[in-house]
Parts: sequence; structure tokens; C-alpha cells
Amino acid sequence: MIQGALAGLAAGGLYAVLGVCLTLMSRLVRVVNFSQAATGMFGAFCAVWLVTHAGLPIWLGSVIGVLIGGLLSAAIGWIAATWLSEADTTTRSAMTVGPLLLLISLSFILFGNKPQPFAPIIAGPAFSVGGVVISQVTIATVGLAVVVAIGVHFLLARTRIGTRLRALSERPTTAELIGIRSRPLSIAVWFATGLVSAIVIIIIAPSQSNDATSLSMLIVPAAASALLGGFRRLDLTVIGGLVLGMLSGLVAQIGQVSAVRNFLPFLFIVVLLLWSQRKEVWDAAR
Amino acid sequence: MDKRKFLAAAALAVAGALTLGGCAGTGGSDGDIVVGSVNTKSGAATFPEASQAAQAVFDAFNAAGGLDGRKISYKALDDKGDPATATADARELVGSDEAVALVGGASLIECELNAKYYAQEGILSIPGIGVDTGCFDSDNISPANVGPFNDMTLTLLYGSEELHLDDICVLLEIAGSTRPTYQAAIDRWTQITGKKPLYIDDTVPYGASDYTPYIVKARDKGCKALAINPVEPDAIGQVKAANAQGWDDVTWLYLTSVYSENFAKAIDNAGAGIYVPAEFYPFTEDNDINKEWRDLMNKNDIPLTAFSQGGFLAAKHFITVLKTMKGDITRETVTKALKDMTPIENKMIGTDYHFGVDNTAGWPIVLKSGTNAWEKVADDWLRIPEN
Repeated sequence: MIQGALAGLAAGGLYAVLGVCLTLMSRLVRVVNFSQAATGMFGAFCAVWLVTHAGLPIWLGSVIGVLIGGLLSAAIGWIAATWLSEADTTTRSAMTVGPLLLLISLSFILFGNKPQPFAPIIAGPAFSVGGVVISQVTIATVGLAVVVAIGVHFLLARTRIGTRLRALSERPTTAELIGIRSRPLSIAVWFATGLVSAIVIIIIAPSQSNDATSLSMLIVPAAASALLGGFRRLDLTVIGGLVLGMLSGLVAQIGQVSAVRNFLPFLFIVVLLLWSQRKEVWDAAR
Repeated sequence: MDKRKFLAAAALAVAGALTLGGCAGTGGSDGDIVVGSVNTKSGAATFPEASQAAQAVFDAFNAAGGLDGRKISYKALDDKGDPATATADARELVGSDEAVALVGGASLIECELNAKYYAQEGILSIPGIGVDTGCFDSDNISPANVGPFNDMTLTLLYGSEELHLDDICVLLEIAGSTRPTYQAAIDRWTQITGKKPLYIDDTVPYGASDYTPYIVKARDKGCKALAINPVEPDAIGQVKAANAQGWDDVTWLYLTSVYSENFAKAIDNAGAGIYVPAEFYPFTEDNDINKEWRDLMNKNDIPLTAFSQGGFLAAKHFITVLKTMKGDITRETVTKALKDMTPIENKMIGTDYHFGVDNTAGWPIVLKSGTNAWEKVADDWLRIPEN
């Protein structure tokens, strides 16, 4: 039982990292970025291509792949900041579905529809406690989730750039009027979350199904974990991701309910939405 | 008034189109021989190579002069793994394009959906790779390959009888209504050997992002070997999940679906070995038996996989039968020729190809840790014993 839940922890860490990126995007640049995992996937595929076809060492290929992931995300951010700066969150979010589909198709065309031969950067078990094996990937993803969440918290609360970002997200017009330049800042947020997504996908990709679609669709469980934090709170997002991962690990152990596993993120989303709307009367919630 | 006029015009246009369509369909016996196939080229699990290989065979046949100057026109449609598209594709090929036979396809769902339609239209199908249950229990469909069900029996046989493994667990990825047929394949193994799987988990999903929980569960139950029926990406995920858990003494009994160079390159740690009963003669090293196929695939830049072997063979079988035919080439004559064919002997397969007869032979191969290459582990075909 515990083994099952811990087995889902690696996936949970991955959901948490992507969820933190989604929460950041939602808070700071008013967008639910559906292409969050897809840019990372594309960066990771580029890294594999650079290692296997261009003969670069793994570390260099990975660094370039991460940069490509970041730049792709920044490019989408540039579009959002240039043409959709006044648009509402719904429109901006809908725009990101375009790059999601584009990147999946593009990777089919460029890299084929087979999973990629990722060379693992980290692999194997890290340690085991009482017969329960914790893999190195689990440590890496959970660690990254916590580090990113805490790092971002301090960045926003304690630094000058964080104050500007918060000003921009809470009073965009006022912030611009007092001379904060919104476009470079918001593109920087896109770039940074793009980098983080690409890093976590390069870490996780060698140890799981890694074709373009399954990697890009990690956005669904990531969105579920971000929803627990209401797309605002980083700590709850991290917890949401870890709980979701462990739940799906646990569910797979129990024969009667293991078929539910595939729908778990959706169930998670539905339950959270119902819970968050529980006090709304029909008329107001509509 | 206007509306009525419009309707009348529309009806006329439709009638006109139907008449024209009818005319086009009766294009005499000197035109191209139309052959089609329904394939899953996009979607969750994809099999594009079979029809590419068949296309390459037909192109080469046409370039060499065709059948006394008549060329084969090959049309491979994509069903996207979607039932509605798969049935529409079959109707397009059989109904509108007037195909004489269906050859070299590979689809996740097509056989079961279209078997009745093929029977009704009197057309026969030789899929390059038959995947679903319908490919193996219809009189109108006879694939070039062994198929996942006989392959499951073979991989279990090899595990228990040759490798002498106990505690074999069966993990199944179930698509559509394949569950009872897999059970029948496992029962057949039980019948032959008197052994039973330690447990069967039929909840393993297609295309999951992380298989760790299923692997952990199998390990907890004490499985020494896992017999699984995944598509290639899923198999990579499963092996990697076991690697991450440090489960290095597990033996993998997979099916031909994972037999590719891509898979071998992706796996560094294969536990105690990944064993597969290859449905076609192994292409691990250059050999004369596979030479024609290998050269053609390399020339056309088609991946060397069991799927391209299946598509290649289906097209070859079809051409062999076509060459024996005298007189008109129509759907009726092709159907008759295929049903009356003499079995085709080909060293790439362990059972001679005879329309309607099951192929029950696989060539055992292994992928060992650190080699990144498949090797043969037997000198002859492994066959399912006759009952």
C-alpha cells in the first residue's frame, strides 16, 4: 500500500512542478498556459536530437534543450504581451491551445511519432526504507517542486523584481503608469516557467512513456494540482501535485478501482470545482 | 417556393453525381488494379510502417512492369484509431474506390468493425499486421502475422518451457473487446503446460505516462517474469519504471510489437532479459532471408520493424496470388483466387501463408542488458503444439 503511494510520488513531483509553473503564470501574467508541458516536451526532444544526431555530450544537449524550451515559451509570451495585452484571461488562455497543438504536430513531423531514446541524466533507485524503494527521479522532481515553490515565494516577497511583478499582476494599469515596463517582465515570466518545465521534463522523460502526446498532456494533472491552490497558492499546488500522484499510485494497487486511475485528474478537477462552488447559489454561480 | 426549387436542384445534382460515380466505377479491366488498406497512422497507438512497406512493394512491382502492364494503385487510409473513421474508410475503399482486395494494413480497431461489411461485399483482407480480435476470427480477414493472441501463448510457452520460469504474471493492456481472446490465449498455454499465471492484471492502460504503480504491484505479488502486451512506447515506460525501482532480476516476456531497433536503443537495463517470439524471421543481423525486405525498406527510408515486415509480406503474398490468376481481375476473381490459393512458403514466416489458416510460429529473440541490440536465442521456430 505505502509502496504503491510512494511509487506515484515521482509523478506527483512532476505534476507539482508543472502546477507551480501554471500557478505562477496565472498569478503574474493572467494566463492558464495549456502549452506549458508542450514547450518543455519540444525542448526535451530537441535535446535528444542534439545528443543522438549532432553528437553533443548529454549535458550540453540538455542545456540547449532547456534553453529552447524557455525560448519557445518566451515566444508565446511575446505574442500574448504584444497582441493580447488587453485581452481577458479566457482569451489569453485559449490562445495557448494553438501552440500546444502546433508543437505536438511539429514534433511528429520533425522527430517522428515514436518515443525518443532519452539518455537518463539520473536513474535508478536512490535508497529504500523498509522495502520501499525511492527512485532518484522521485527525489529530483519532488525536490525541484519544493525548491521552485519556495524560491518563487521569496522572489515575490523579498526582492525588488518580485514587488514589480506583484504590482503588475494586481494593478497592471497603475503599475504601467508609474513606469514599470510590463512587456519585458511578463516575457521573462514566460521564459522562466518555460525553462523550469523543460528541466523537469528532461529529468522525467527517460523513466516513463515519452512520446510527444503523453508528455504534452501532462498539462491535465498539472492543472488539477494548480486548481487545489486555486491557481493562486503555491504551497497548496505542491501538495495538490504530490497528493494526486500518490493517489494514482495507490489506486493502481487496488484491483476494483484501478480502472479509475486514468480519470483521476479529471475526477480531482471535478471534485475541487464542486467543492469550491459549494456555497454558490445557482444564480450567482452561473 | 424557393426552397422547393432548391431541393429539386439538389436532388438532381445528387442523382447526377451518383450516375457519374457509377460510370467511373465500371472502368473496364484494363485500368489500374485498386488495392486499399485501413491503418491507424495517428492517435494513441500508431502503426504506419505496414502500409508504407506494402506501398514500397507495389511501387517496385509497378516499376518492374506490373501485371502484364497493369499497375496496382494502392490507397492506404488513416482511421486515427477512431471507429467512425475506420468504418468510413472501409466504405470509401470498398464502395467508392472499388478495391479488389485490402492488403498490408495495420489498425488498432479496423478488423472487428469492418469484418461484417467485408463479408457482405465479398471482399477479402490481408492485413500486414492484424491487431484486434476481428482480424483472427473472420472468414474474410487473414493477416500476414501471428497476431497478439497466438504471440501471447508463444511468449508464455517460451518463458515456462524454455526459460523454466515459475511465477509468471500477465499484465494486459486491453483495447476494445480483446480481453476474452487474451484469456483464451492464456488458457491455451495452461492447457499445454498445466501452468497458470501467478496473477493477471488487466487494468494496465494504453499510453499511461507512468507505469511505476503497476510494476510495484507486480513486484509485491512476487512475480519473477512479466508477460505483457504493450505497444512500443508503453513497453519502454514499463521497463524504465522497473529500472527506477531497482528491480533488476525480472524477466520480460513481450510480444513482437516491441521488436524494433528503436526499442533496443532506448533500453539499457533489460533486467534478466527481454524475450520476444518474433512473428517474422529476426532481422537482427544481415541475412539472406530478410535481404529483399531490408534492401527495399532501406531504399524507401522505412523503419526496420516487424510492422514493415508484415506489410511487406502481405503485399508479396497478394502479388504471388495475383500472378497465378488468369482472365479478369475483379473483386470476385481475386476473392476466389485467394480462397483457392496454394500455401505460400516463405522463410520469413514459420507457418506457410494460406488464406484463412492461423500462423502459430514465432522465432525467439532476446534483448539483454547493455547490448542495445536484439539477438536470436533459438535455431528454429517455436511453434504452438497442435491440440
